[in-house]
Amino acid sequence: MKKRIYYWVHEEYRDKPIIAKVILETKVLINILVAKMKPQESFLILELSGSEEQIEKALNMLKKYGEYEDIPKTIEKNKERCIDCGACIVHCPVNAISREEDFTIVFNEKECIGCKNCVKICPLKAIEVCEI
Amino acid sequence: MKTIREINEKIKKGDAVVVTAEEMIEIVEEMGPKGAAKEVDVVTTGTFGAMCSSGVFLNFGHSDPPIKMMRTYLNGVEAYSGLAAVDAYLGAAQPNSDDDIDINYGGAHVIEDLVAGKEVRLVAEGYTTDCYPRKRVSTTITLEDLNQAIMVNPRNSYQTYPAATNSREEKIYTYMGTLLPEYSNINYSGAGQLNPLQNDYNRERKTYNTIGIGTKIFLGGGIGYIIGEGTQHNPEKAFGTLMVKGDLKTMSTKFLRAGTMPNYGCTLYVGVGVPIPVLNEEVAKACAVRDEDIQVPILDFGVPRRDRPVVAKTNYKELRKGEVTIEIYDNELKRWVEKTVKTASVSSYKKSREVAEELKRWILNGDFTLSEPVAPLGRGSCKPMKAEAKLVRDILSRPPIVARPNISIEEAARILTEKNINHLPIVDEEGKLLGIVTSWDIARAVAQNIKSICEIMTRKVISSTLDEPIDVVARKMSRYDISGVPVVDSSGRVVGMVTAEDLSKLLGHRKF
Ligand code: SF4
Ligand code: SF4
Repeated sequence: MKKRIYYWVHEEYRDKPIIAKVILETKVLINILVAKMKPQESFLILELSGSEEQIEKALNMLKKYGEYEDIPKTIEKNKERCIDCGACIVHCPVNAISREEDFTIVFNEKECIGCKNCVKICPLKAIEVCEI
Repeated sequence: MKTIREINEKIKKGDAVVVTAEEMIEIVEEMGPKGAAKEVDVVTTGTFGAMCSSGVFLNFGHSDPPIKMMRTYLNGVEAYSGLAAVDAYLGAAQPNSDDDIDINYGGAHVIEDLVAGKEVRLVAEGYTTDCYPRKRVSTTITLEDLNQAIMVNPRNSYQTYPAATNSREEKIYTYMGTLLPEYSNINYSGAGQLNPLQNDYNRERKTYNTIGIGTKIFLGGGIGYIIGEGTQHNPEKAFGTLMVKGDLKTMSTKFLRAGTMPNYGCTLYVGVGVPIPVLNEEVAKACAVRDEDIQVPILDFGVPRRDRPVVAKTNYKELRKGEVTIEIYDNELKRWVEKTVKTASVSSYKKSREVAEELKRWILNGDFTLSEPVAPLGRGSCKPMKAEAKLVRDILSRPPIVARPNISIEEAARILTEKNINHLPIVDEEGKLLGIVTSWDIARAVAQNIKSICEIMTRKVISSTLDEPIDVVARKMSRYDISGVPVVDSSGRVVGMVTAEDLSKLLGHRKF
């Protein structure tokens, strides 16, 4: 699974290689999407990928050195606008879009990497991706 | 065996047996066509897809002082008003007159907004007469304010539609949606076993069993009528279409939706449902059509011609599974290879189902009875336009001016100035294209003191072939922002050059 978080590093750990440490110890893959390192604060947006267990472990470690907050949703299908055609499915690089038995199109937020391919091709403009 | 009048009696009493076309498949399988015809009274069908040939006739009522509207805009989208003073036809595929908005808000979007009850800005201009002294009007209107808003769609509900893929090395944007390079997706459209014309098609006679002029239907969530065969109707080839009308004021955005095919245009998604009275065995049999019975050709939209090559043939069942395996020619391996390609629908099967279900509910509730058609659909016609295609070979007269890569920059400069050209294709000993040098490259070489052609020539050259229509070459030039393309024959030898100048002489100065 994938999880995206906002992360504020505690002042005393600002110059420590925390992310590298978490990666090494938990084997979670961490993608740094945004990083703002200033003397007074360091703020990151991270994407963790791994098993549920690994991610939990990584989050526990991160908590020791700072504070995190879940990024609620990266992608949302506007149910009113979507006509469940399925044109978006093939454009998703990570197979986060699928079709259910009854032909409803569903988005797996946990897999979505926010590339916006689907947003660009949807004729109904039914997909919203939250900016980070 | 049964008549429409008898079926209507049953509907009114609440005794009619109504099933959707999907449900009918199993019933016919179980009981056979004869038994099914006895059991079932009405089969409801449905389709929901992009139907560009849709639009609405609008009557605005007269202003005071009155105006004869000649140019009419609704939220910036032009409606055709070469009709009586305050009548107009708003087409779904009309882009916005504001180039920045363009296809992102067009005719279809205005139609959807009207149906949603939103206010729409009306601006119209006319020429003045003694009876129509007003020149300009600007106001806001809603659907309610209009005297009439009659949807009249010249071509809806295609019986089947070919699927689309793309052989080119680049992504292309078509009315069948976005097609990825090198056969990486197949887009298809159509409700297949739920489609109205498919379920009424008499495969032996190549006509329609019950559908005709005057058939009452479900249109965009309201009640509509079939007013004839649609444009390009082609029953011989099982490619029937319908011309339909309905009152926009009765429709809903659940079954009428605006969309934009990226980099192509705007379109209206329309829900159309036709009830089929199961009058006899023959009708029942046709209603048992299944997705796997409907053949769908897959066309290569990478070839920008009218007759696009058929890459493979499949059917709706296969397409709906999500992948299809096709055979394609691999240019590098020089043989045919199999490729499993993902399929995606651009129409909605789920919504098609909802249309058929909704119509079924209406009939079961006694709210919708069937109409007797007054005449069968016409035979239609679907022949190509009489317009010559101008090909590159038609405009290529001069022998090619080419050079070898070992010439000096000075020599190249001399050729360009002597021959009064701007592009010099560089070829190998067999005359095959290696690269291209432009006068701009020469200027750069001089400025930067570069001595060899190989260092300045562009190696990844966009080229053309003798059989390419000149319009396609023009699009290439504008797409890649280049001013000339070398023309090569099938063995890669340069046979000439086409420049933007040549084309603008032929096509005039226009936006390609
Ligand atoms: S392309 Fe748009 S309308 Fe179609 S299924 Fe995807 S989100 Fe829904
Ligand atoms: S934004 Fe990208 S990754 Fe997310 S669902 Fe759309 S196509 Fe898939």
